[in-house]
Amino acid sequence: MEISDHTKVAILGAGRDGLALLDLLHHIPSIEIVGITDRNPAAPGLQRARELQIPVIINVPDLIGNHGVNLFLDATGDPEMEASLHAHKPPGANILSGSASRLLWKLIRHESKLEAELLQSEKLAGIGSFAAGIAHDINNPLQLILGLAENLAEERDLTTVHEQAQDIIEAVKRTSAICRDLTRYSRRASPHQDVLVPVNEKLDEALKIARYASSLHDIEMIKQYQPGAAVKGNPDELLHVLVNLITNAVHAMERGGGTLTLETTVHDGQVHVRISDTGCGIALDKLDEIFEPFFTTKAPGKGTGLGLYNVKTIVNKMHGAIAIDSQIDRGTTFTLTFPKAEPAG
Amino acid sequence: MDEFKSGFFIGGEACEGRVLVVDDEPDIRKVVKMTLQKAGYEVLEAENGEKAIEVINSGENRLLLDVVICDIRMPKINGAEAVAYFRSNYPRVPLIVLTGFPDTDMATSFLRQGVVDYLVKPVEGEKLRSAVARAIEQRELAKL
Repeated sequence: MEISDHTKVAILGAGRDGLALLDLLHHIPSIEIVGITDRNPAAPGLQRARELQIPVIINVPDLIGNHGVNLFLDATGDPEMEASLHAHKPPGANILSGSASRLLWKLIRHESKLEAELLQSEKLAGIGSFAAGIAHDINNPLQLILGLAENLAEERDLTTVHEQAQDIIEAVKRTSAICRDLTRYSRRASPHQDVLVPVNEKLDEALKIARYASSLHDIEMIKQYQPGAAVKGNPDELLHVLVNLITNAVHAMERGGGTLTLETTVHDGQVHVRISDTGCGIALDKLDEIFEPFFTTKAPGKGTGLGLYNVKTIVNKMHGAIAIDSQIDRGTTFTLTFPKAEPAG
Repeated sequence: MDEFKSGFFIGGEACEGRVLVVDDEPDIRKVVKMTLQKAGYEVLEAENGEKAIEVINSGENRLLLDVVICDIRMPKINGAEAVAYFRSNYPRVPLIVLTGFPDTDMATSFLRQGVVDYLVKPVEGEKLRSAVARAIEQRELAKL
């Protein structure tokens, strides 16, 4: 069976298997879940569907008779359901049931695991390039702490002792914040945890992390955030996307500095996130390739070539889109567009 | 009364030497200055390579600067560029690199360029003071 560009799917059964199918399929932009049904109104998949704003069909035959459906996924394991489905489905609609349906679920789950692995390996490989930045940010406060402590060992003026002790405390706090930020970033993204993510906060968090990957010293920063820019997704994954794009932007300006602009706008139910640099730009004939896995312009050992591939995978999963505007030696703008998420309640 | 105050006047009334500290972090300049002043050095400061070049090119510093201590990761003109500038324009002023990031390749390249010492933060006061003293001593020997 060929899955066309846009597939309308109905899920029958909202138990463990149906719930898993729902969780995995709703991330795929080319798949629309027309509805989910179960004889048991307390089935966990129905609750999840309501959260995801996917239609819950109480009356099973209503869903089976829906002419808009291309593909029925029968996760009930119930022979009666299978028979009824074959008897009443609209002509032309396909059915995946029983072990075929379970196989599909297993395959998708496997792929989603691989995807998570790929993301994590790229993230960890990237952290290697943070070494210089981390060393700088830890060893500078350590130098201050050591120098002050050496002085305190001999200092007799009580006011100076108090002041310098306070300086040491502040320096220790700054240093421990580095480890906190990095462990938060490097942890494995928790799977299927879509929540409301405030984009402006994530941009600031990403900026802190990107500082380790490359020096922002010679870069002028412009931030134009529209309040209320919120999207639905996995916060860890969105952070990863933003760190990636900011790091790329900064790397593009490695020679001679430039301006990094971070902008969010909200209109027509969409959130736009713009990351612009005034760097080297991307050649027109490379634009198609940059999202390919293992594509890199960096020297061997300097980049994994998985950065933008993962960016694209995550943005797709969030039902978002990426647009690039680039001119050689003038700079590049990445625009991410996501459906706007409303705070619950 | 303090031992280090007496140290300030070692060798008669003169100071031990004039040191330029180049680092973008005010905290580092403050603490390095404190450490060296205790040993009787006069300390000038610059927050980046550009400022450092300005300082060395101004007035009597050109003649009286004894040692430059330079960070690497800095805005404007970074440490590596500043080192190259100092080596070609002021080859007689000894350079000490004081960096937060230990990098063997970089250290080798600096030492090859004639940098006299490559120190990694955090460095103890005693070690820093003896590195400065050694740099001045070597320069004096070279003059002979």
